[in-house]
Amino acid sequence: MPEDMNEDRLKSRIREISLFYHQKGRMPSFSEIGEITGLRSKNAVSKLVDRLEQQRIIARDDKGRLIPRALTAPLRILGAVEAGFPSPAEEELADTLSLDDLLIDNPDATFMLRVSGDSMSEAGILPGDMVIVDRGQTAKSGDIVIAEVDGQWTMKYLRKRGESITLVAANPKYSPIKPKNELKIAGIVTAVVRKYK
Amino acid sequence: MNSDPITIHSWPRAILHLDADAFFASCEQAIHPELKGRPVITGKERGIVAAASYEAKAMGIKRGVRLSDVKKICPDAVILPSDYETYSLFSLRMFSIIRRFTPDVEEYSIDEAFADLTGLRRHFHGSYDLIAQQMQDTVEKELGITVSIGVSLSKVLAKIGSKHRKPRGITMIPGREIHRYLGDLEIGSVWGIGPNTAAFLRKFGITTALDFAQKNEAFVTKHLSKPYIEIWHELNGRSIYPVIKESKSSYQSISKAKTFTPPSKEESFVFAQLSRNLENACIKARRYGLAATRLVIFLRRQDFADSGAELKLTCPSAHPSDLFGPLREGFENIYRPNTLYRQTGVVLAGLVAETKVQYTFFDDTAKIEKMSKVYDAVDMLSEKFGKYTVQHAASLQTNTQSQHEGERGDTPQRKQELFKGENKRQRLGLPMLDVDV
Repeated sequence: MPEDMNEDRLKSRIREISLFYHQKGRMPSFSEIGEITGLRSKNAVSKLVDRLEQQRIIARDDKGRLIPRALTAPLRILGAVEAGFPSPAEEELADTLSLDDLLIDNPDATFMLRVSGDSMSEAGILPGDMVIVDRGQTAKSGDIVIAEVDGQWTMKYLRKRGESITLVAANPKYSPIKPKNELKIAGIVTAVVRKYK
Repeated sequence: MNSDPITIHSWPRAILHLDADAFFASCEQAIHPELKGRPVITGKERGIVAAASYEAKAMGIKRGVRLSDVKKICPDAVILPSDYETYSLFSLRMFSIIRRFTPDVEEYSIDEAFADLTGLRRHFHGSYDLIAQQMQDTVEKELGITVSIGVSLSKVLAKIGSKHRKPRGITMIPGREIHRYLGDLEIGSVWGIGPNTAAFLRKFGITTALDFAQKNEAFVTKHLSKPYIEIWHELNGRSIYPVIKESKSSYQSISKAKTFTPPSKEESFVFAQLSRNLENACIKARRYGLAATRLVIFLRRQDFADSGAELKLTCPSAHPSDLFGPLREGFENIYRPNTLYRQTGVVLAGLVAETKVQYTFFDDTAKIEKMSKVYDAVDMLSEKFGKYTVQHAASLQTNTQSQHEGERGDTPQRKQELFKGENKRQRLGLPMLDVDV
């Protein structure tokens, strides 16, 4: 009887249902639960389902079909231990970065800019390249910044020594700039994108 | 007049309304930093002002003014074509920034949002004022645009706050201060009270929002209908309208309209414009799983006079193939030869959930099934290769003839200067800064 079912047997039944769910990508029907758990009567299956529903492991939709609730998270670990390796797609790829994630730290504050000059060519930023500009970060010494210096826009390394600020080009053709009146930093360059084909 | 506080409770609820300042023009100034401080106007392709920066407003330029007049009033104005793609990106980011402060955010329009701040003071270790301040600063730092914020006990009051001081204003209206803000506010300026209701209320000597708020419940329920009773409660600091979290997933109607320049009297071109609007509206309806029961079409003449027609559909649909018949019928009713038209529009109205559409005995369900498969395929192709990869022949002329001819620079810069790999229809989802470096 399901009422007497001890904890281990219950756990193993949850495991079977979880395995079915992960392999097939859907919840089993009542008769399928009977098959995989070895319960022969519909009544027993129904009592098992009631019990799992009470424990908030599964739920039923308005048509009575089953929905996984706590079936996924806690049981995935069990799956790794006792039911062989879970599918690589699910486990291994869950934590990978997309190119967007890699290149963009703060999606709300990121802009792009097409480079026209060659002042950063020695830093590997060439005319026609696209740079990713983050407005959300505060510029530190050594960052490549997009800045307005005395009314002129430029992309340079920011050098801070104590109180003094200098903007330095990567191309030796250009001499360092010391802002006379005003320096406004519009953002810092976090990446450069160049597409060849 | 009685000037006692309306309520003594300062913050039983804290509803915030955020309104971007001259949004379209501010976006342009953010991506073209050299335009900061200059009068900027968008809407070049439409021939009228869509948005004016505060510098332009200061010179007396308002929304809807014709561009030929703008040049007379303010010869220095920078007039740009609308770049809705960039404005939409800014809008999404603005909402995303607000969501960093509270999950309860309602995207009210492209440049406005409501947010429920109730209970967040402890979390932020500060007042509601401080939270509003931080929100305003973050938007300005990360997006380079300014916003105005109102915080009060209800949506109607929060909206009064955000309008109170602009640009870059923050107006806090706690319960005990409400009466101070309503006293000078003309009744017609209250959100939701239109000119007719305002005129009606004036007959009872109600000229300000405070007059209205101070009326007793008996008066309000005797003379007014439910929406206005709700506004009366909201003005009294009792929040009725909830902040609706879901991003818009249902619509009562979907409308698409587009202007073309120069105006045209060519029947097939004007119809193609209408057809393109229909396709566009149907794409949106399908995206939200909706079907229209009524179709409204309108044509706007060169002199801004509109003519329109409304058609009932026999069966709800979001498939242009079903709607072309009524569209043609309506068009032939209102189109006059030898008349110059500047804009066409389509409204899908009486929307119902597609899943709830009931077919009658006489509907050819097999054919309907088949068409819905065709449109599923069309939508999939659009997602992969860009909008209108597959389109109706009736809209073709909108491709062969450009939407706006004549003066150069009517296409936004973003659509002209493509990065390698971008195309006419699909570009990277990042705003592009325009500075020479």
